[in-house]
Amino acid sequence: MKMLLLALRNLRREWHLPELRTLAASLVLAVVALGVVATLATRIERGMLASAAELIGGDIGISAPQALPDTYSTAARNDGLKVTRSASFPSVAFAGQHSQLLDVDAVDLHYPLRGTLELADASGHSHVGHGPAPGGVYLDHRALVGLGLAVGQRVQLGGRELTIEAELLRQPDGGELLALAPRALMSLTDAEAAGLLGVGSRARHRLLLAGEPDAIRRWRHWAQSTTLPQGSQWITPEQTQQRMRSAFDRAGAFLRLTALLSALLAGIAIALSAQRYARRKTTEVALLRALGTSRRRVLGLLLGTLAALALPAAALGLVLALGLSQLAWLLASQLFTSVPTVLPLAPSFAAAAMGIAVLIGFALPPLARLSEVPPVAVFRQSVTRRARRFDALYLIPVLVALGLIWSQSSSLKLAGILAASLFGVALVAALLAALLLWLARRIAPGVHPALRLGLAALARRRTLSLIQATALSLGLCALLLLAIVAPALLQGWRQELPADTPNWFALNLQDDQRADFAQALQGIGADQLNMLPLAVGKLTAINGRPIDQLHFAEARAKEWADRQLRLSWAGPLPQANEVIAGRWAGAAPAQAEVSIDTMWRDMFALKLGDTLRFDVGERSIDAKVGSIRKVDWSSFRVNFFLLLDPAHASDLPHTWLASFHLPGGHAKALARLSRDYANLSLVDVDSLLDRVREIVDRVGNAVRWILGFSLLAGALVLAASLAASAAERRHEAALLRTLGARRGQLRLAAACEFALLGLVAGLTAALGAAGAGLWLGQAVFHIDRFVPPLWPLASAALAAALVVMLLGLAGTRKVIRTPPMRLLRED
Amino acid sequence: MSDSSRPLLQACDVSKSVSGPEGKLEILSKVSLRIEPGESFAIVGASGSGKTTLLGLLAGLDVPDSGSIALDGHALDQLDEEARADLRRRLVGFVFQSFHLLPALTAEENVMLPLELEGNSAARQRAREALDAVGLSPRRRHYPAQLSGGEQQRVAIARAFVHGPRVLFADEPTGNLDQRTGRHVCDLLFALNRDHQTTLVLVTHDATLAGRCQRGIELDEGRVVPSASGTSASA
Repeated sequence: MKMLLLALRNLRREWHLPELRTLAASLVLAVVALGVVATLATRIERGMLASAAELIGGDIGISAPQALPDTYSTAARNDGLKVTRSASFPSVAFAGQHSQLLDVDAVDLHYPLRGTLELADASGHSHVGHGPAPGGVYLDHRALVGLGLAVGQRVQLGGRELTIEAELLRQPDGGELLALAPRALMSLTDAEAAGLLGVGSRARHRLLLAGEPDAIRRWRHWAQSTTLPQGSQWITPEQTQQRMRSAFDRAGAFLRLTALLSALLAGIAIALSAQRYARRKTTEVALLRALGTSRRRVLGLLLGTLAALALPAAALGLVLALGLSQLAWLLASQLFTSVPTVLPLAPSFAAAAMGIAVLIGFALPPLARLSEVPPVAVFRQSVTRRARRFDALYLIPVLVALGLIWSQSSSLKLAGILAASLFGVALVAALLAALLLWLARRIAPGVHPALRLGLAALARRRTLSLIQATALSLGLCALLLLAIVAPALLQGWRQELPADTPNWFALNLQDDQRADFAQALQGIGADQLNMLPLAVGKLTAINGRPIDQLHFAEARAKEWADRQLRLSWAGPLPQANEVIAGRWAGAAPAQAEVSIDTMWRDMFALKLGDTLRFDVGERSIDAKVGSIRKVDWSSFRVNFFLLLDPAHASDLPHTWLASFHLPGGHAKALARLSRDYANLSLVDVDSLLDRVREIVDRVGNAVRWILGFSLLAGALVLAASLAASAAERRHEAALLRTLGARRGQLRLAAACEFALLGLVAGLTAALGAAGAGLWLGQAVFHIDRFVPPLWPLASAALAAALVVMLLGLAGTRKVIRTPPMRLLRED
Repeated sequence: MSDSSRPLLQACDVSKSVSGPEGKLEILSKVSLRIEPGESFAIVGASGSGKTTLLGLLAGLDVPDSGSIALDGHALDQLDEEARADLRRRLVGFVFQSFHLLPALTAEENVMLPLELEGNSAARQRAREALDAVGLSPRRRHYPAQLSGGEQQRVAIARAFVHGPRVLFADEPTGNLDQRTGRHVCDLLFALNRDHQTTLVLVTHDATLAGRCQRGIELDEGRVVPSASGTSASA
């Protein structure tokens, strides 16, 4: 207690010292950067699940070929869950001369439970609504165009005359990308009354639930223990929208990268400030030791002062982090609707703890050394010898930095690349600075006096110059990574979704329709046409053992084994696919081969050489697993979990799947095409693409916003390094002024000194950022042919030298004005 | 160009005060003195008597609140800080009680400093000669921390003389040295004063050292104490 009071008093007296203020500011900044980003990431994670729930229209569901028994909905209602039932089926609508095949969703009045159903009235005003009442129907734009109708008119559907009450703008769907054509939403009561859902209908029934997560879990557990009707499938948020997850995962990686670098910069500023503080305290500690204070007490006092500084600073950081993350959330929340609004507290508290760990890690070594100052140092500081046993303490900041990188990186790979890059930058900066100092000794006599003085100044503070160059290089490298490389990575990522990415799919194309359809598409301005065969079958055996006799560790394996599978085949390896094991079969292997996606490998514990049997219609095929692929599901291309070889698969019963790009404003032409090919289902993926593009843009904005933290952290590093040498600089300036140096000479010398320092730091940082960017682009963000923007980096390196010079000059302005009388007063 | 009949340093009614927590504090009050070229001159007095402040004013490190000071005919109170710095570089050398050598520079590099400020291309050669003159040639590559107190002060003296100043200000030059070393350093200062005809202005509270100077004044609470022996110098 007494020690704490003493430490508090000590802190109050020393609070005016710039290094203590920098120490506190660095800690606040580290906590804020880590806290805000971690809170945002948690909320984005939650938002993502909620977003997926919106896309399926509920928290969980079951889809089945017939209506589920009432026991399922009764059990859900008994547990406090909300329930909605729906059925989907194709049906032809008639309006005068026109007819159109529609994908009809028959829903009850509770639909949707999650997400929004967006409608437009006759005047085009949009609003949010629920399923239509009996007698009403909603049609989407393509359906209205196809039938030549408008809102308010009547349409014949399923043998009933229905009033078009609204245009259907957007509805939650089953998350199934390859779904249906023009859509209609009608009342479930009407559909049942019209006999559209009876025995023999092609309707797919759905039961969707929403409510408390615990109740959902309980119901799911109970439902899994029952025998679901044959052909039933679970609908869960986790299995929907793999593409969205990929977008969010990358977004999270960017955000964490930013926070991590800010925290590391704060760590560097803390280390520099602590070093300076320790140097300043050396005489005082020697005096205390000479007056009989024990080593333990000295250490206690120092650590107490550090704690008295750290706790309020961490608390302030915590409050700021919570406030700022709430603000950031308000700005970003349009991304998700109906997302839990509760502010998660845990990430900010964890950030405060991490901030304190950074402070301890980076400040402890120099302060702990202080307790080793011998009492004799009170007479002459030069007798102070370095205690070798304290050298190990310098491993602490390294370990803290590695721990931080590990905890904040979403993957070990990202952590490894960052750690290696930053270590490389530190090493190169130190080597370059050492080379510069060596050169300074050699070339100094022959250069301009100001440059000579600048070089001499760097050489005079040899150790500090090395530390400054390294710290500035690391800081600048972090800034360049964030300011130039990260946006370039984002841009690269965005370019992976070029404007002409296929935005339409056509399903159910028959062999004899292919040529005509391709020509018709060309006629309406579509391009990027790609056609792939599509066979629908079931997995029936693995290595000769029937699938229903096998047991798998993963629960989803059984679901997939029950499913109708989509099979395709291709000669060359399709784009966005990478063979990671085995060999791509090519067009005609000797024996039937199948290439599987990694998810299938994991789910069914498959290995190369295993044999899979698929039943497709009347046919069956035994194919050997010849290769395992990694598929980039974010590529928006048509991809398959299972690819057979063409030689053995092409005579399986199949249809064709076409993907193409159609520029906006061609709805009418497409509607005509849809009428001409009534058997086709056309699917629009533009809205999903738009959503992903929107996420990329918003992540870009968020990164720029958080970049502010890194800029502040970079400024703190420079301030800390200037503060570290301020006393020495003042003394030097006073001496040089006494010896007759003009202010201009001192200014020019300082400009040369900082420009050289900035140049070393800028060049190293630009090289480091380019290298790390190249590495990150390929290894973590999977952006092919990513080239870091070299010219902007080179310009930034020069600009950095200029900024460091200007900031250095601004920081030494007071020093240069030091009155020479100060020297006499020091005696 | 200096005029041989003109005093090298002349102060008339120089006063200086500072603001403290208890109001204005007068440090020097109406001090006048005259120092001739080549002369050795002592300023003595107890701690806090204003010796160092007067030295700073005479060297142009600061300006008086009132009164005037002329160094080699240049009215210091009329010059701005930059012009005074120019004058110091050309005319003045300093020796301090705490030596004030830059710790990261070798003895030779410390001595080179005043010449480097002038942009003198023969700085290294002349620094070696200056170190040779104070008997420290073998130590020229040593850093201050590797030198004894006496050796450090000799490096400081070499630095003070290397650019051939007309006046050398020494502030308690033996204050941090033992008696024997202090005497040795003083011998050196007076020898250089004699050999180079450099005016020596010495601040000290050591009466013996002051006694070796040709003339001097004693300060007490910022005022010149009239001396019975007539050694007090007035304009």
